[in-house]
Amino acid sequence: MPHHEFECSTTIPERKKHAVIKGAGEDLTSALPEGYLNTIPGSISERGCAYCGAKHVIGTPMKDVIHLSHGPVGCTYDTWQTKRYISDNENFQLKYTFATDMKEKNIVFGAEKMLKQNIIEAFKAFPQIKRMTLYQTCASALIGDDIGAVAQEVMEEMPEVDIFVCNSPGFKGPSQSGGHHTINIAWIKDKVGTVEPKITSDYVINYVGEYNIQGDEEIMHDYFKRMGIQVLSTFTGNGSYDDLRAMHGAHLNVLECARSAEYICNELRVRYGIPRLDIDGFGFEPLSDSLRKVGLFFGIEERAQKIIDEETARWKPELEWYKERLKGKKVCLWPGGSKLWHWAHVIHEEMGLDVVSVYTKFGHQQDMEKGIARCEEGTLAIDDPNELESVEAMLRLKPDVIFTGKRPGEVAKKIRVPYLNAHAYHNGPYKGYEGWVRFARDIYNAIYSPIHQLSLLDISKDEIPTDKGFATQMMFSDAALSEEAASASTQRQYTGKYDCVPDYMNKTYPDELKKKPVGAH
Amino acid sequence: MKDRIAQLEDYIMKHCLWQFHSRTWDRERQNEGVLGAATKILCDEPVANETREDRCYWVDAVCLAEAFENRYPWLHEMDTAEKKLLMQGLKERIDYTTITASLNKELTDHKY
Repeated sequence: MPHHEFECSTTIPERKKHAVIKGAGEDLTSALPEGYLNTIPGSISERGCAYCGAKHVIGTPMKDVIHLSHGPVGCTYDTWQTKRYISDNENFQLKYTFATDMKEKNIVFGAEKMLKQNIIEAFKAFPQIKRMTLYQTCASALIGDDIGAVAQEVMEEMPEVDIFVCNSPGFKGPSQSGGHHTINIAWIKDKVGTVEPKITSDYVINYVGEYNIQGDEEIMHDYFKRMGIQVLSTFTGNGSYDDLRAMHGAHLNVLECARSAEYICNELRVRYGIPRLDIDGFGFEPLSDSLRKVGLFFGIEERAQKIIDEETARWKPELEWYKERLKGKKVCLWPGGSKLWHWAHVIHEEMGLDVVSVYTKFGHQQDMEKGIARCEEGTLAIDDPNELESVEAMLRLKPDVIFTGKRPGEVAKKIRVPYLNAHAYHNGPYKGYEGWVRFARDIYNAIYSPIHQLSLLDISKDEIPTDKGFATQMMFSDAALSEEAASASTQRQYTGKYDCVPDYMNKTYPDELKKKPVGAH
Repeated sequence: MKDRIAQLEDYIMKHCLWQFHSRTWDRERQNEGVLGAATKILCDEPVANETREDRCYWVDAVCLAEAFENRYPWLHEMDTAEKKLLMQGLKERIDYTTITASLNKELTDHKY
């Protein structure tokens, strides 16, 4: 096994099994780090907790719901607003967060009474919202508050409301991934099948593991709707509570982030016979393959092909412009979980970037299998890195940019490595054809930012050039290009709008596409 | 043959996701379902796609077979018996990499 030992972690020998370098001739049978294990004492992990995984990642993107945490206010505050999963109801779930604000006296005397008061108060404060998810935290779980019983009591007193109880305190698992698991299983066990689906098309899917980061869901819905497909529910970005109770009515589960949502797909297959189709919404070729597969499933592949042709013709020249300028740039691909495999191969193929390292904070060995399989030789793969290891890796690998979360991203900036937010994005959406060009544009702007170039100078020792003034990204990016490449008329920079999402949200679609043609199977 | 199987394996590993379901029994079912259907498509044999489950394997298989035919011209020079041998070897290799020799310790966890 080609393990990699970080110099900074020689005092934590267990860490050695959590990093490998995929060498020549190595494959998954010889190069796979340990994963999804309890954090090793002494290693300052960057992971989130199981409560965060349940609430912040999966629960809160549901739009028409009061998300109430039973615990100290810090738990809910720290899982509020940092992921930009927007919604079409004026972002209710992003604007407001709710907590019972447990104090020491509640730990001593219990907090069930206070919880009940809080639930009723929250419903009264927002009378248009009739649905709630109630999240357990470490503090309320440790004192044994029965939040399920309190929720039941309120539902009996207020029959117009429905409450989902998510029993995933922070300690319930090695990382936030434990919370993904818990909320998936709780939702299918307690809520799926409790509302009759309203079917409006002959082609019905659940779009699962999609969180509508900066409008990803809107852009993908556009493709599905143009094919006449009804998205019965989205789990969970921009998703509606009651739509998600009707998931059992779909013909197919289309799964994006398998790390966070494969559990519910597997259970929907076992319990309701709905098959699971894993797709990639990122990148022109993987997305085209994905749309074709969904089209083929319903026998409407020609509709998928029409979208692929139109979108590729519209956006490919813009992707090519950025590819020309990003070729050979080194990337550390350090997201939370699924993007390490969604992006590993396609940013190399379609943008010319070289992935020198992948890591996952909370992923399982399965995520590393997918990521390492898609990487080129020489890539350093790290499971659950601590901050010192990340810094050591960046100093050794000298990436031109890293894609990661905002906490490690700020660390990268301090050692003069630009970063893009892989979780909440910079200027998303990044899914879809247009989104993929926006991602390429963000990478380009990060690498060639004139401000970043300035930051490479150390005023305490470097000579500061006084003969150079205004600079633009293109002055840096095109300096090494041939004249032919720099002026290629078949390529252009992104020409979409600053905010492209409203146009997707406001589109209308013909109803006749929802019916199968006469004679079709 | 080994070199050709390696080329097909590399394509699957870089472009597909169906082979990485979470448990041993899932992977056995997926590998059999998709590669079994792809073999039939490449050999011009009928493939069951009436049930939703069969259809889901079938769509992955159709796209896989098309990609193989587009990317690997040597496939067109093979007769049916050779194609079956090739795909059998590929199935054994994918089973080996993703199941029998996999280092993933969660494959045998009895819960999803």
